[in-house]
This record gives sequence, structure tokens and C-alpha cells, in this order.
Amino acid sequence: MLEQMSTRVLACMQCGKCTGSCPESGKTPFNIRMLVRKKQFAAAIAEELPWYCTSCGACTLRCPRDVKPSEVIIELRSALVEDGLMPLALQKALENTAVQKNPWGKSRGKRGVWADKLDIEIPHVSDTESKRLLFTCCIQAYDPRCMVIPSNVARILNKGGLEFGILGEEEGCCGNEIRRIGEAGLNEELQEENKAIMEEYGVKEIIALSPHCMNAFKKEYGDLGIKVTHYTEIVADMIREGTLTVQAPFEKKVIYHDPCFLGKQNGIFEAPREILRAIDGLTLMEFARSRETSLCCEGGGGRMFFEVETTYERNAEVRVNEAVEKGAEVIATACPFCVMTLEDPATEKGITVKELSEILVEVI
Amino acid sequence: MNILVFTKRVPATQEEELRLLGDGNSVDLSKLPFKVNDWDNYSVEEAVRIVEKTGGAVTAISIGDAESDEVLRRAIAMGAKDGFLVDAGKVLHDPNARATVALNFLKKEGIAFDAIFTGVQSEDDQFASVGGILAGKLGLPYSTMVIGIDAFEPDHIIARRELEGGLQERIKVKVPCVLSIQSGINEPRYVSIMGVRKASKVERKVFKAAVYEEGVPSRIEVVKWVYPEKKGGAVMLAGELESVCKDLLGILKEKGVYQ
Amino acid sequence: MSYALIVAEVRRGVFEERNLDAIGLCSLLDKESCLLIPEGAYDINDKLVNVVAKVDAEEMVFLNPLNMVSILDKVIEKRGKPDVIIFTHSSSGTECASYMAGRFDLPVITDVSGFDKEGGFFMKSYYSDKIFGQFRQAGDGTYVITVRSGSFKEFVVEKSVSAAVETISGITISEERNFIEYVEEETTEVDITKADFLLSVGRGIGNKDEIEDFMELADMLKAVLSGSRPVIDKMWLPKARQVGTSGKTVKPKVYLAMGISGAFQHIAGMKDSDCIIAVNKDPEAPIFQYAHFGVIADAMKLRDKMKVVLKG
Repeated sequence: MLEQMSTRVLACMQCGKCTGSCPESGKTPFNIRMLVRKKQFAAAIAEELPWYCTSCGACTLRCPRDVKPSEVIIELRSALVEDGLMPLALQKALENTAVQKNPWGKSRGKRGVWADKLDIEIPHVSDTESKRLLFTCCIQAYDPRCMVIPSNVARILNKGGLEFGILGEEEGCCGNEIRRIGEAGLNEELQEENKAIMEEYGVKEIIALSPHCMNAFKKEYGDLGIKVTHYTEIVADMIREGTLTVQAPFEKKVIYHDPCFLGKQNGIFEAPREILRAIDGLTLMEFARSRETSLCCEGGGGRMFFEVETTYERNAEVRVNEAVEKGAEVIATACPFCVMTLEDPATEKGITVKELSEILVEVI
Repeated sequence: MNILVFTKRVPATQEEELRLLGDGNSVDLSKLPFKVNDWDNYSVEEAVRIVEKTGGAVTAISIGDAESDEVLRRAIAMGAKDGFLVDAGKVLHDPNARATVALNFLKKEGIAFDAIFTGVQSEDDQFASVGGILAGKLGLPYSTMVIGIDAFEPDHIIARRELEGGLQERIKVKVPCVLSIQSGINEPRYVSIMGVRKASKVERKVFKAAVYEEGVPSRIEVVKWVYPEKKGGAVMLAGELESVCKDLLGILKEKGVYQ
Repeated sequence: MSYALIVAEVRRGVFEERNLDAIGLCSLLDKESCLLIPEGAYDINDKLVNVVAKVDAEEMVFLNPLNMVSILDKVIEKRGKPDVIIFTHSSSGTECASYMAGRFDLPVITDVSGFDKEGGFFMKSYYSDKIFGQFRQAGDGTYVITVRSGSFKEFVVEKSVSAAVETISGITISEERNFIEYVEEETTEVDITKADFLLSVGRGIGNKDEIEDFMELADMLKAVLSGSRPVIDKMWLPKARQVGTSGKTVKPKVYLAMGISGAFQHIAGMKDSDCIIAVNKDPEAPIFQYAHFGVIADAMKLRDKMKVVLKG
């Protein structure tokens, strides 16, 4: 008798919808349907395979039998992590997160540095009336390219008259990617630490800057009794209600790329588009694959921290090529990982990648 | 083979700008996270890999404060059988003092071993001396910068030690001995949080260092701590391309990488 | 007799350059200097020290801490205790220094990179040079030092007369640790983590055809060619040559980055290099924040000019 697993691999009928929707299938050795099959028979799985998954979630969304193939991947990875069998770069990312609470091993003490350089003062969340927390995210706290995003959003929210605070160096990694890498224990520790600090300061609302963090707080922290939103939802509300007005035009053709964790996994398709539509002169364009079928940029599931061995045309390149063919001038997105992956090929093709906030600060 | 491995908990300073307190009386480590000393991580891994082949056991020993239990749990999760904490009341900067505490501890507790491993150095003080001093005091053969262990026999070890410029030296060392392990000798396994939790179930013995500190002389003293001389941003080389090239070659020569 | 004993580091017949730092420190300490060296035809300027003590042993015997115990016994027997024993801060230097400290019960201060004459203390690196400790020995007697390469060379003073030569013989050779052979690291595939000098190229070099010319420059400079992620992604260079979080972490003496803007992932893989030189045409390129030297120039133009300068 096969042991019943927490995921529903035994319910799988091998229809192949998962592989059909997987951004890695066809061009890499990764075949999610096959892995589920092997798991059904508890057959050996080559240890490099599970690491291709980008955790985009398409397979789980499309599966007609609720097998949750993306969770099967996490199970496979967990077993490998417990045995220490993982790409070295991921091992480093986990070790860094254990010590510094971010996968890059940057100083935790410098997590709030982006706010020090800002022209407006952001209070600590405990000093706010609303107990509304702007959660920065690791990459946006440290990466010079992404550090502008929290600064921008802080200015935008401030302009819209919204009160909010930050945790500064007390903020730690949300654990979203860590769980997907398969380090359940570390994810638990990160969650506990973040929960404790939020409880201590009586946080009532979280505005997440990264869709990945938002996903974790919304779906994986249990019942926090805290309202969790992505900043684009707040900004869209502000524009709609008139608390934030778009004053200058942005005369460009902008194509919007749906981040997996914002779009297909959490159903936030409209807020970012609504913001873009509100800007004068901006022509909003769409990719052939958008919304639920948006093509993953391959920055999730730990892929931000390591490179798979296979060389192939990256999805980011596919995206950029399509944008260029369609005549877009700017690729807009609302996730730091997407910004990072898209920007590489975009720079080469002479097209700009902007996180939504980067367009917004130019027009308000 | 029974191998003792010394492992140390050190502050993670790589990404930090450190601050001095009170006119250089001490270094402010209060806000820093701590971690296992990198070199010790390689040492534990190497020892575990050896006993996996030869049988015997690895015992991890840490001289430090109560928090150092963390690196013992880590070592146990990696495959050490036991963890001994030699709980020292104060930071021992002098490698002579550390080595003497270690020596007295081993002697007083009658701990038997075939080999003692230490890291080549610790990330914080970079003395690269405790292993050598301990070996000297024990009167045992010693080698540092060990980058490969080719054979581990009951009476001797064949090891490779790293010299400069990509050269190595193969040596034969009699057992028992003390070896200081160089980073890069292996790829230390990942220790998951679950793994550490499981390891916590293995009891770690705690010894009070005071007992072994008797007659431990402080042979060197710190006058004070100071900041390094400021380097200040990149020096930009400007001017005609040809003169820039010559300047660059000058730098390469000065750094000793070009004739 | 008051003197400083300098234990020379010699390897395969070569008197290592870093011995000069030990000799330089000796001048600063104002001590009569005695250079301890194995018998052999080493190329030394014998006016740099007062005494050369030749040990009747081969270099492999000499550079063994167990034999060094016997050598030191003989030196003390012949010349009395030195005030200070100075080693280089190298693989063999630290090995012997710490072992002597243990065997002869001596204080030891390693990786010394400065000496303050007035205060009588040595500068010693802590936390990878982020902080330095001013150390001195507590009490009197012989102490042991290892000196950091490049720290004291400038203080070497040439004397008017050649060094007196003494011989140390009758040493006991230990059976507990023996030299077997030298091993050259295998060089089948380049290991960029082992290189002292990396020439690294990035997206800024434009296209694959440029690689060959950079390879040529690297050869001329005796550097190893490496690259950032985009270069590897495009298969302009093999994966083994990738620097960065998804490639290798390197710490060469010199990292010369050409056409690399300095993405976060790349910086993480090279920021601990001793000396970083960045060449980029964009003055705003983040890599300049991490570089010690910077050149705002087109990587290809600089490369070509460099070749001309090297050839001429």
C-alpha cells in the first residue's frame, strides 16, 4: 500500500494539463506530469529536476483533480533539502536567510536604509495611528535597482494622504520563497518571528510591495486578523476616489506583464491596469498571454537565487521580444522579481522595464 | 577514528560597518547576528565524512558563551555524536589563552581522540593560531591549511596542505595529530532547521571554563581598537586613454599580479 | 645578545618576496637581524640583514613546524634567545609561528600589518580588516609575529656591509610529519576561484566576437578571463567562468571588470576581491560604488589601447 500523501498525487489521472501550462516544459528537462506520475509510484526522481519549477502556480490552477502539482514540487524539494541535496546557490540563500533574514545575506541592520534616504519621514509602524504596515520585501530593501520601489510607493501613498509605517530592521523575510525552496522549518521560523513582531506592535493592516510577500501573508500565515493588500489595490482606490490625482501625461506605449503571484495566484488583474488607464497619454497594451495565462518570468520558486544548468531561451526574453514586436516602449509590471528578470534582456533590446510605481511617480 | 572538532560561534560581520565603543575600548557587536565560523563548518563536515568511512565518532567542542550551543546543535545535525560546551565567562582574545583552556579541558576530562580538527582561522579574530598552539602544547604533529585528506589510516594520515599560488604539499602525519582545515576542502552539507531541531534532542554537556582557566596567562593585550585608514570610494583614472592604460598597468604591478 | 630572528620562507629554491616584509619590520623594531634560512643557492641581497644563519637542512625539512622546534633549539643554543621571532603570514609561516608559540610557550600576534613605535604596539586585522586591534605582548621575553605581505617592505634598509654567515647544524628531523611531494593543482578546467588576477567581462562588450580579443588581452596580462551572467547565458564563455551568486564567488588580488555594470548578483560574487578595477562607459554604473579604481571608458577602446601599450 502506498502511503497517502498530503498532496493528492493519487488523484492524478495524468491528463497533462499541468505540463501543458508549465512555463518550463518543452525547453527544459522538467516535466511536471511525469514527476507526479513518479511520485504516484514512489519512483526515483532525478534530484536536479524539482529545481526547475518557478512556483508560478499555473499547474495547480488548471488541474481538474486538485492534485496541486506545485505543492508536489515543494514536497519533493523538502525531502531534498532535508538531505542537503540542492543547488549550492540555493543552499547559500537558505543559510543567508537563517542568519540575516534575507536570501542575499545582506546586513539585517541595513534593511531600513532605503527609508533613511527618503525626502519624507516614515514612522515606525508602532508610532502610527492606523497600525498600517508597509512591508518592504528583501529584494526591495537591498537591491539598488529595486530599492527605488519602496521609496516610490512611500511617496505615492504619502501624497494620497495615507498613514503608514514600517518595521525597518525588525522586518524579516516573509518566507514565501523559502517555503517554495522546500525549507519548511526555516519558513516556520520566519513566520513566527514576523507574526510576533506584528503582534507586538499591534499591526492591523499590511500593504505588501511584492506580490510574493502578499501571497505569504494572505494565504500562508494562518489567520492573522490583519488585512493584507498589494499596494496597487490601494493606489487604484486612491485614484478612483480622487485622493490621488494624476497630473502629468505619460506619452508612451506601455505593455503590462502580470506577475504570477499578483495575477493568476491572487486574482489581482484589474488594479494595476486601472492605474495605467488613469494616466493621460499612456497607451495600454496587452501581451498575447496575459492575465490568467500570463507567461511566468521565471523569477519565482527560488529561481531568483540560482541558475538552472540548462541554457535555453528564457521566458523573459520571449516576453521582451513580444513587447518589441508589438511596438511597446515600456514593459510595466508590479513585482520586483519580474523587474529583475525582464530587465536583463530588455536593456539589450533597447526597451525599458518599469515597475508601476516608477511610472506613477513621474505623473503625480 | 575519533575526531574532536573545535567549532566557534562568530558574529556575521561581512556586510556590516562596525562601530567602536568608548574610545576604542570595544567593538559593538550588540546588533549583529551570529553564525558558525566558516572554517569550522568545513572542519565538522570533513570529520563527519571521515568517520562515516572509518567508523568512530565526531565530538564537537565549542569554547564560548552559552549561545555557542547553537553551533554544537548544528554540528550534531551534520553528524557529530556529541557536543561539549566549554562555557567561558569572557571573550578570550589571546589564542594562547584559548589553546590553554582547550588543553586543560582535554586533559582534565580525559578526552581521548585520534585527531583534533580546527578551522584554519576564525572569521572574527583571524589569528590562525589556536590549532598550532594546542598541537605544540600537546606535543603532537600539526599541519594547517589542510585542503585534502587522501588517506586516514590507524597510525597516519596522508594530507594535502595548501601553499601559495596554486601549489600544494602532500604530507604524511602520524596519528594522533592536530589538523587545521582550510575552507574549500569539501562542500559542507546543508543543515535544515528541522535537522537542527532534531539534533537538539541530543544532550550537550556543559563545562564551566573557569575550571580550566587556572594558570591561563594573558600573553598579549589589546591597547585599543581602531578603524582602518579610510579608503574612500573609487579613485577615478582620467585623461588620455594611453595614460590611463599606463596607470592601470602601474596598479597591476603594484598589486603584484603583473610582472 | 639582543636580536630578531627572521624565519625565511623559501619554496622550490625561491626566496619569497614577502620575506622582505619581515626584514622591513625588523628595521622598524631597530633590532639586529638574523635571517634563518636553509642551506641552498637562494638569491638574497645579503646587505639587508646583519646575520644569515644557514640551517643544514633541505627546504622541505626546514619548513616543517616539527623540525623547526629542533632548529630553534639549536639557534638558541648558539645565539641565545631572540627578542622576537618573525614569520611571514603565509601557509607555512602561520603553521610554524603558532606551533613555536605552543612548544616554547611564547606569546604570538599574527597577521601584523603595522607597528607603532611610540606606543610599542602592533596593528592586527580583525573582522576582515574592518577593525584593527593594537596588540602588544604582556610582560617580557621572546614573542612571535607573523607579518602580512606588503606591509613593511618599504622599510627595508640596505646596510653598508654584507651579513655575517653562521651555520646551524645537528638538527633532529621529526618522523611524525614528513614531506611527500609537491602537487600542482589540476588545471584541466580553469578554476576562476583560484586565480589571483581576473579579467571579467559583461554585457557591455556587446557581442561574442569581442571575446577573442579580451581573451588575448587576458593572456597578455596573465589574467584569467571570467564573465558576468549575461555573458555566460549567451554562451560567450563557459559556465565555469561565471562570477556571481549563480556562478562562482571569487576573491582575487585584482578583479578587473570591463563592461560590467554591477548587478547585485554579480557584486555579491566579487566584492571581497582585494582590488577591484572597473571600466565602464556609464559613470552611473553601480560597480563604481564597489571599485577601488574606476575608468569611465568604452571597454573595447580601452582593451585595444591596452594591447597597444603592452606591445609597445
